[in-house]
Amino acid sequence: MDYMALVILGCTLVTFIPRLIPALFIDRLNFPPKAEKFLNLIPYTALAALICPGVLTVDNQLWYIGLIGAVVAACLAWKKVPMGAIVIITVVVLITVYSIVPFF
Amino acid sequence: MGIGYAAIAIKAGMTPLETISMSFLVYAGAGQIIAASMVLSGATAMAIILTNFVVNLRYFVMSTCVLNKVEDSNLPLNILAAHVTVDESFAMFSLSEDSSIWIYLGIAITAWLSWCLGAGIGVVILDLLPVIVTNSFNISLYALFVAILTPAIKENRQIALLVLITAVLNIVLGQFLGNWSLIVSTLVGAGIGMYIVDDEYLLAGDG
Repeated sequence: MDYMALVILGCTLVTFIPRLIPALFIDRLNFPPKAEKFLNLIPYTALAALICPGVLTVDNQLWYIGLIGAVVAACLAWKKVPMGAIVIITVVVLITVYSIVPFF
Repeated sequence: MGIGYAAIAIKAGMTPLETISMSFLVYAGAGQIIAASMVLSGATAMAIILTNFVVNLRYFVMSTCVLNKVEDSNLPLNILAAHVTVDESFAMFSLSEDSSIWIYLGIAITAWLSWCLGAGIGVVILDLLPVIVTNSFNISLYALFVAILTPAIKENRQIALLVLITAVLNIVLGQFLGNWSLIVSTLVGAGIGMYIVDDEYLLAGDG
């Protein structure tokens, strides 16, 4: 099979099946608290691992571009700016940074 | 948001059809970004699929929580609801006072279709936009991740410590494990979290 077709089909199955299982067995599922805690922690650790060091490769030549973006987004989130606005402002800030960089 | 994913997918050499069908079929923000990044770095299909399995395993818990909460549902609606469960729809529904299946499907299907639409817009406009703008869109998903994570870091020092440990772990493991470090540090990080994060926070906050 074609490489990309295999990737898409495989990812579809491994993503859909875990989502589907609760729909089929919702009445019979009961997690032990420890398993639930472990699974509840995964979003935090997954996001941490996704951001770091991936954010530094947003621009392959300029590592600090991603860092600036992450810091801007974190400051806005700290000030409780709505999520959609955070994303838009961060993109706009980076466009501005890119426009200034050639002058240094 | 879909535009940021499309930027990476196109950079990775995926066709517009592949890019959009992945959004429609897989529908996993982070999972798709990782898949596209791994395609870009030349990973094997098996490594990409396994990584997606681990990264998207959290939807199992989210889907369980959502389906526990919904009322007046049936199996076909539950299956549809399961497919459109992502971090955003789960978070919004968890905070909502309404527990009707139709409210959930309304929120979640809108998010799903706009994700697909974003990918569609992305593949069309990325060719027309200057490099500065497309490069800047690469940050959008990371900005969302940071935006999701920051309130938890602010609210709970144990979560903040866990995030720091996992980030360092992923950088260190990345030197040895390459693409696999994301899976390993996510699971090892959650294992460490079992000891350093109090139960009360997670059971109250849920997700």
